[in-house]
Amino acid sequence: MARSHRSGASSPALSRRGVLQLGGSVALLLATGACAADSGNKPKDGASGGPAAKTLRIAVSSYLSSWDQDFVGFDLTALMLYKNVFPYLIDYGVTTASGSQILDTQNVTPTFAESFQPDAEQKVWTLKLRRGVKFASGNEMKAADVKWSKDRAFAAQANVAGVYRTIGLTSADQVKVVDDYTVEFHQAFPSALTRQIQAISLYVFDSVEAKKHATASDPWAKEWFAKNPPTGGYYNVTKANQGQEIELSANTDYPGPDPAKTPTIRISVVPAASNQRLQLQAGDVDIALGISQRDIQDLKKTPGIKVISAPSNRQVAIQMSVTAAPFNDVNIRKALAYAVPYEQIISNVYGGDARAAKSTVPLDMPGHDDNGYPYAHDIDKAKAAMAAAGRSSLDSELVFESDNEEQQKIAVQVQSEAAKAGIRLKLTPLDPATLGERRTKKNIPLQITSGQLWVDDIEYMLATSFVKGANLNYSNYSNPEIEQIYEKSHTTVDTAARNALWKRVQEILAADVPWVVICQPNFNLPVRESVAGWVQPMDGLARLRYLSASA
Amino acid sequence: MRIFRFVVRRLLQLIPVLLGVVVLAFLLVRVLPGDPVRSILGPNASAEDAEAARVRFGLDKSLWQQFLDYLGGLVTGDFGTSIQSGNSVGSEMALRIGPTLELVVIAVTIALVVATVLGVWSARRANRLGDHSVRMFALAGNSVPEFWLGLVLVLVGYSILGWFPAPNGRVDPDTNLTPITGADLVDAVLTANGPAFASAAAYLALPVLTLVVGVVAPLLRSVRASALEVLHSESYAAAQAHGLRGRTLHYGYLMRATLVRLPSLAALVFGTAIGSTVLVEYVYSWQGFGQWALRGLLYRDYPVVQASVLVIALCYVLVFLIADVVHAILDPRVRL
Repeated sequence: MARSHRSGASSPALSRRGVLQLGGSVALLLATGACAADSGNKPKDGASGGPAAKTLRIAVSSYLSSWDQDFVGFDLTALMLYKNVFPYLIDYGVTTASGSQILDTQNVTPTFAESFQPDAEQKVWTLKLRRGVKFASGNEMKAADVKWSKDRAFAAQANVAGVYRTIGLTSADQVKVVDDYTVEFHQAFPSALTRQIQAISLYVFDSVEAKKHATASDPWAKEWFAKNPPTGGYYNVTKANQGQEIELSANTDYPGPDPAKTPTIRISVVPAASNQRLQLQAGDVDIALGISQRDIQDLKKTPGIKVISAPSNRQVAIQMSVTAAPFNDVNIRKALAYAVPYEQIISNVYGGDARAAKSTVPLDMPGHDDNGYPYAHDIDKAKAAMAAAGRSSLDSELVFESDNEEQQKIAVQVQSEAAKAGIRLKLTPLDPATLGERRTKKNIPLQITSGQLWVDDIEYMLATSFVKGANLNYSNYSNPEIEQIYEKSHTTVDTAARNALWKRVQEILAADVPWVVICQPNFNLPVRESVAGWVQPMDGLARLRYLSASA
Repeated sequence: MRIFRFVVRRLLQLIPVLLGVVVLAFLLVRVLPGDPVRSILGPNASAEDAEAARVRFGLDKSLWQQFLDYLGGLVTGDFGTSIQSGNSVGSEMALRIGPTLELVVIAVTIALVVATVLGVWSARRANRLGDHSVRMFALAGNSVPEFWLGLVLVLVGYSILGWFPAPNGRVDPDTNLTPITGADLVDAVLTANGPAFASAAAYLALPVLTLVVGVVAPLLRSVRASALEVLHSESYAAAQAHGLRGRTLHYGYLMRATLVRLPSLAALVFGTAIGSTVLVEYVYSWQGFGQWALRGLLYRDYPVVQASVLVIALCYVLVFLIADVVHAILDPRVRL
């Protein structure tokens, strides 16, 4: 990769003579340095040389595992790229909150599509495509592409098929082609979630191109899609060097509002957070998406760099297994809720850069109630709750992700304070596969979880986290009244009526306390000072089309 | 002819060894806790979705049937399908072996040359300042973790001096190198792409240096010890007493006898270097075989783990075979 012209802040601090004194190993470095010198002198075509830079460079921590969105694993780099390179027919708008630009989850608008509207009952949704929208292959995007894409999604029985269940779409027959530019989605029931669920699901493949690569044994061209980047989104993938760099070019044929601002984006893979930091400081990348919390605190004081900070809906919690002893006793759950040092964690782990939780429902989510989590750090109350459960002490395991420094710090602080209330915790870091298996078996008594919901709605939150069998319901929590409310919410589309349901949900969760909600850390992103246009995504998946860099 | 027979015999002996590796790798990866299917499904996948994925990857079959399918695939050169990516394991591996082998082969070759030259030089100056310096260097090389050394070299070579490219890959994408083998230097030569060759060499410098420092130390100590043994031997003293020319003494007596042990040690070091690449590849964003195998292991991607174990075992036995042949050439006393 071409090297940048260095800024003053990061220019070499040592003379060659001084370096010679560093010792034998550096002498070897000097010997081999000559061959590399040339590569360091190339001018950067990024954030320099004009009023608006043509290229933006972004560092990410890993290369994507596959280009096939239907069959991919839970790979955040891949999912972020998909948002920018697949044509999503509808998408969120943008609004301003607390001085920051954020994706507007209450405003889903057509992008590649012309319109997406329900019938009077809100059960049949009609998608109308714009005419003349083309994939990079030159094929026009038509209703047949939408139908083929949805048939494929149902056949995959993974990501989209899973999320469609929440709005009553369970089979490919419910997606009907009316004409070349019109598709209908026949839901089993009306749902207030439809727009948001479709905003994350209505991506389209170039089916004409795909069928050329399908075979009898691979009718959905999985093998071809896994290796060949999709086209036709806000950006097209111009180059993809396996494991190293992906180059995106703005799709100049994008027909909707807010086209991509920067013509070219280069995404390089830099797994080590410390190297991302060095490259950001050197000006070789403009945005670093994988820098550690500790580095971010340091970078706030570094010339040439700014840290974009925005409130996020990422929630950090401890899920307690409510079906197994000792946490099947609500008093024990309350004891832990009182024993956790919330402010200390916000201060020590996040440097104060997090918001205290007020409810199991994230702050800012429509329907949030500030009285939804009435627990604060109080060891006396924790001991009292233990006494109410007839216990003076107990032993348990606290599980967290093995490569997650943030969770490790939280675990240590919770362990220390919980011990004061008689709750002795054994800390267990687990690798992803073991964690996944134990979550499936539901045999983890306590586990730290962290994440944000892709749909900013309490019905979706219940569907994923608080009803029987929900996949993020690691607590195995179930409450008959919440199940009823959830069922009722499917067909309740009136906002006031929904808010009444949500208030009751939060009262129940406050009493049952299946989760210890630790806090909501703010989103922090270190970028070069020249970068502008960051729009905070509520799903954590960066929308690159709004980004720009000045000279 | 004798060597040819020896090589053929050893290659035939590899079959049961590799079969053992196949069985062990297959069983051991399944003994590990962890569910590969859960890691590929989105958060909304149900138990039915998980079952469908198991069927898709043949994980619903009995262990015996899975093993027989795997073995049948191996016979036809099919390593299976990666659970994480959905790609053929064979094609994924082909992309990643080249970069790692390039890194390891260059590093071990440089380490062998450096160890030989410095080891003999050091032995001939035993207990003098030069010898002490070389021994200190060997001690430091043995003690410094590659991961830490890599980060320090990036800090000095890239960030402070600015002499080396950013640690974000193997070649400047702007050189438009067409991948053939995955080994970028080789591909640059094959496609006559001069800028790509220079760029790949620049990207290789720091990771190679990191590996060289790690593997040169044991080689250096061994060569020095062997050379000292030869220098103090009666045969060497006799040759010296007969007034042989220095050049004859050096190459005919000292070097040949000194290098006898080196092939076996080099084979061992080669294996260590392959293991070390996991961390070196991480630091330098190398995206080679080591990173691929590690990710496979983390997510229990069975076909990836099985294939990577098999290939590492194959590399090991082939390198030891080469070492034995070289040893026999250097030492006529060895019977093949």
